[in-house]
Amino acid sequence: MANVETPAHLPADCMEEFEAAARRPLPLRWRYAFIHTYKPVLDDASFRAFDTMEDYRRWCEQNLPDWLGYGRV
Amino acid sequence: MAAFEYRQAEEVRDAFARHAVRYLFIGKSGAILLGFPDTTQDADLFVERSPTNCAALVTALRQLGFALSEPQADEIRRGKDFVQLKNGPFDLDLVFAPDGLERFEDAWKRRVEVEGFPVCHIDDIIASKAATNRVKDRESLPRLRSFRNYWLAKHGR
Repeated sequence: MANVETPAHLPADCMEEFEAAARRPLPLRWRYAFIHTYKPVLDDASFRAFDTMEDYRRWCEQNLPDWLGYGRV
Repeated sequence: MAAFEYRQAEEVRDAFARHAVRYLFIGKSGAILLGFPDTTQDADLFVERSPTNCAALVTALRQLGFALSEPQADEIRRGKDFVQLKNGPFDLDLVFAPDGLERFEDAWKRRVEVEGFPVCHIDDIIASKAATNRVKDRESLPRLRSFRNYWLAKHGR
């Protein structure tokens, strides 16, 4: 990875986080990143297919709890 | 269902390569492959919607252990816009028409390879999340845009 100057407009705390992540090997980054918690409704079917993205978005809004964050702004 | 392990991601990569499936990691899982430090629960794959590619995808998914009935396999072969799989060893979302991205071919040309994983360019990941306009994406976008600036400065592309 090239050693370049820090973009001046990046918040310092973000910069530190990104640099720390870049030093970790990918398998370790992956292990830190992927978690699993039960999501009501969403996790209750083993397969779903939607003809259009709009159908999927509408289904999320009509069926999932708001707190999951799948609703549109 | 346990979390998606790196070993399983390698199995996806290798199985899809064996069957010449054209796909890209997109969404937060794509950003994580690029180095974005965050958490996610599943992987989103942007898959090229062509009859040959969709047929190869079904074969690869079955080899990976996804229990697809024939009607379910047909829905994937038809390339429905969005397919959610929770009938295998890990959760996988197949996206054939992500919001904010016009054509697979354009995204493919801009792709980034990370240890053999084909990943959407960070600008495409952000464009897709911005177009989705969901609450959870709105919350993660400012930090993702900061990462984009960092990533572009490092990689110059």
